[in-house]
Amino acid sequence: MPQVILPIGPQHPALKEPVNFKVIVDGETIVGLELDVSYTHRGIEKAAEQRDFIRVVPLLERVCGICSHAHGTAFVMGIEEVMQLEIPPRAQYIRTIVAELERMHSHILWLGVAAHVVGFNTLFMWTWRDRETTQDLLEEMTGNRMNYGINEVGGVRRDLTPGQITSALSRLPKLEEQIAKYVDMVMNQETMLLRFRGIGKLSKAEALKYGTVGPTARASGVDYDIRRDDPYIAYSEIPWKVVTDTSGDVFGRTLVRIGELQESLGIIRYCLEHLPEGQIGVPAPKVAPVAEILSRYEAPRGELVHFIRTNNTDRVERIDIRTPTLANWTSVTVSLVNQNIADIPVIVAAIDPCLSCTSRITILSERGRKTAEMTWDQLSEYGRKSSRERDRC
Amino acid sequence: MSVLREMLENLFSRPFTILYPKEKVPIPVGFRGKIAIVDEKCIGCSRCARVCPAECITMIPDETEIEVKGKKIVRKKRPVVKFFRCIRCGLCEQYCPSEAIIMKCQLSESGTDKEVLVQ
Repeated sequence: MPQVILPIGPQHPALKEPVNFKVIVDGETIVGLELDVSYTHRGIEKAAEQRDFIRVVPLLERVCGICSHAHGTAFVMGIEEVMQLEIPPRAQYIRTIVAELERMHSHILWLGVAAHVVGFNTLFMWTWRDRETTQDLLEEMTGNRMNYGINEVGGVRRDLTPGQITSALSRLPKLEEQIAKYVDMVMNQETMLLRFRGIGKLSKAEALKYGTVGPTARASGVDYDIRRDDPYIAYSEIPWKVVTDTSGDVFGRTLVRIGELQESLGIIRYCLEHLPEGQIGVPAPKVAPVAEILSRYEAPRGELVHFIRTNNTDRVERIDIRTPTLANWTSVTVSLVNQNIADIPVIVAAIDPCLSCTSRITILSERGRKTAEMTWDQLSEYGRKSSRERDRC
Repeated sequence: MSVLREMLENLFSRPFTILYPKEKVPIPVGFRGKIAIVDEKCIGCSRCARVCPAECITMIPDETEIEVKGKKIVRKKRPVVKFFRCIRCGLCEQYCPSEAIIMKCQLSESGTDKEVLVQ
């Protein structure tokens, strides 16, 4: 059978963000996939190098609209480690509450989007309605629905009042009830089961081979979560468990996310009930000593990595952000093979892709007209060369 | 069954949607909204301009006599804000020593002209 290349994007009515898929199909079956995600390069890493530690945090929060707290926290945690600051427990608990509320809003949003792509728009509307509870809580606690601005180097910028804590605790049972309804719907609704079960399979070996992270990896049986395996902020003090599944398909990824919703709710309740007394921050020095640090954070979509190099000034010399979506894209190219064309939206949506935060590099040809590709060896050589040049300067 | 039950519950409950702008959206206390300058409180220290990540605050010359803690001083400068460049992070409000720049508890407007000033 002759193979046909089916181009989708970068501008396409079905896409929310620009991405280019070249789907190689044999009839209705997918044989392979080529991806180009470099349409939203914003030069945010270079912009971050121009700003001091106070002004860089709001910028990094805007790397991703949904995981804004993840980026802010990953960065400030790295800088605090370089500066050897001891962050008060109350600040760590507040960071955890915001982090888990963010995870909840991200997962509820994802569930709505997943329902929408399979044509179950009723669930889409219901989930997004209930997501407003998390948004309202975030707005009350931080001052904004998105880009919360709660973090700063040395602690958090706002304290929680007793009124806010009581109000948050009173609204959690209703949310819990709604989440239980979604669990029931996802497990029993024929619409969901037919479109999710057995679709986009990814084995544990493949998930490990392609460096998959987050709920995508956990749905394939990879028992790995930064919150437990390399605990940060307050996670080591809170009772919770990592949710995994062994099916490796889209249904498994849905179950993991729904399980995480319930776990997050438990974490938030625990943090609100056991919020320690005390300061919400410590004064931070203006400059950070010479150091290189790798800050890891379990964002809603998976492991987020910030590599930070400081040089005894009030700003970073280099920051490199590896977002979870970038790590998960390769798994899509594998899980799409032998699937039906109609299942592309579901399988792509199952990794919860976020493109604007993923694009980090675009290699242009010399005339700047076309994008080019680099092999791993070429990239390593390029890195070594620029490092030597930097040291010479 | 759960879908049917939820549908029936929704059928007999009030609509969730707020018909903005006819109905007002509730705004919580501490909301970081529209930026405003309280001119009589400003001492012209330029801290807000230095911490602004969007660089939307500039200090312009303005010699005015103001009263701070019972003492009269002459300030040399005052801030102006490019309204639609502001990202409402609230850093200026946090770093202002005299509460002269604030984020009001009201929704900010949107627009395309980045040069509109708040004085």
